[in-house]
Amino acid sequence: MKYSYIRPRKKSVFTPEIHLLSVFFGITIGMLVFTYTFLLFKDYMFKKEKQEVLHAKTFTIKEIKNIEDSISFIRNESALSQSIYTKNTVLKDSIVNMFDLVPQRITLSEANLLENGLILYGITPNKDVYNFMLQAPLRSIFHRTYSSFYPAQNGWLRFVSTNYVDIKEETKEEEKDEY
Amino acid sequence: MILEFLYLKVIVSIVRRDSKTIVYIELLNKKGIVNTDKSEFETEILSLKMYEYIYSFTRESPFFYISILDTSPSQGAIPTCSKHQINSYYDLSSSEYKCYDKKWSYYTSKSDLYNIEKTYEKIGVDFIFSPFIILRNFFKDKIHENVAMYILLEEDSLSMGVFKESKLLYAEHMDISLDIDKNDLVIEETELSDINLDDDNTSIDLEKMESLDELDQLDEFGDFGDIADLDSIEELDEFDDTKETEEASEKGGIFITDSAKVHKDYQRFLLIQSSINNFYQNEKFESEFIENLYIADGACKSNDLKKFLEEEMFINVYIRKVDLCVEVSQVTKMELE
Repeated sequence: MKYSYIRPRKKSVFTPEIHLLSVFFGITIGMLVFTYTFLLFKDYMFKKEKQEVLHAKTFTIKEIKNIEDSISFIRNESALSQSIYTKNTVLKDSIVNMFDLVPQRITLSEANLLENGLILYGITPNKDVYNFMLQAPLRSIFHRTYSSFYPAQNGWLRFVSTNYVDIKEETKEEEKDEY
Repeated sequence: MILEFLYLKVIVSIVRRDSKTIVYIELLNKKGIVNTDKSEFETEILSLKMYEYIYSFTRESPFFYISILDTSPSQGAIPTCSKHQINSYYDLSSSEYKCYDKKWSYYTSKSDLYNIEKTYEKIGVDFIFSPFIILRNFFKDKIHENVAMYILLEEDSLSMGVFKESKLLYAEHMDISLDIDKNDLVIEETELSDINLDDDNTSIDLEKMESLDELDQLDEFGDFGDIADLDSIEELDEFDDTKETEEASEKGGIFITDSAKVHKDYQRFLLIQSSINNFYQNEKFESEFIENLYIADGACKSNDLKKFLEEEMFINVYIRKVDLCVEVSQVTKMELE
């Protein structure tokens, strides 16, 4: 219970000198704490930025890899298309050459182009016409040529000419040439 | 505060008496009083000597408390704490007041508080206590009993309170010197024969007394010392024997014949008498018959006052000597708890 008319003054162990010193040290410590906090904040911000940069770097690397994959894929596609174009050109030339080989007296009914061969179906007036006019050029192109005949209703002969190129032999020959 | 335990607590109690100032110092630690010191200075203000004396103790510890006993003539106590009722007893517009235990209030003049603070500005003041608080604390063992009047007797003033079971019924603070001036008290022409002890009407009306032009003539009141001749000491002693006296003022068996002291005692008696009359007659106060009167004697006076009261008013008077400085220190400790 309070009995006095007035309130007592606040008592403190701090004399004015100690108070001044405390204020000085307080300000100093305050500044240090502020600086430390500022540095902590800056460090945090730096780490955060570093993380973001690392994340961006990873993303970019991933993107680069994706782009490289795309480039590689496109290159492959391009090569493939080039190859197909070449093959088609070769095939076109082969077909043109093949039709150039067929004389006017022989009529082709079917032609099958194989990887390493050619099968021709047609009608020839006789065997000699076939042998001289078609088989001879075919033999010069293909390594193996097989022909079979069977008579047609009008007296002509139907023929099946099967021609193959031996790739191994060709390769060996090429190798020999190289040596 | 943790550091507080490392220091001693210094309680400086200042009590003004007449033109003197008594300074009482108590040095306390956790366990209790370590040292005490007391000194009296012939000054009413803070003299250099007094300042140096106090400073020699207060510089030892930052935890020092300066307590002063209020001596304002405009102080008193009111038997209520209710803000609405207080104004019917006293206009407190220019007073500072505090409520005690939600039962009664004590007040003092704001300007006097300011004056005290101004006087002791150099050392500062922490507590200013009302004499009614000292009175209440000093008689705390008695105050819860039946109706009785309690008086704190100081050199120049009286603080009176009628308590019934710890409840204040009436209180008054009287400054002796001021009341003398106010009532233009004349004692010279008041002969002893005027005081008829056998008369049923024991009240003495100050107004009926004739005035003197000069207070110096009050010295002639020294005749009052002769009261011992009229009313034999033996008779008074017999009267006393019938009553329980806790700390009888005549313990040493010395009857102080100094006329000035008897004169002051008589003034006190008159003031107490008029105060009791006021208590009985004023309808504002809850009237109760006073049988016992307890006096805390802080002025170390003779037992004349006791005799006057007992013979004139037929009241049982008990006197306890009180060291006001110690009591102020005690209340300070209570306040700090």
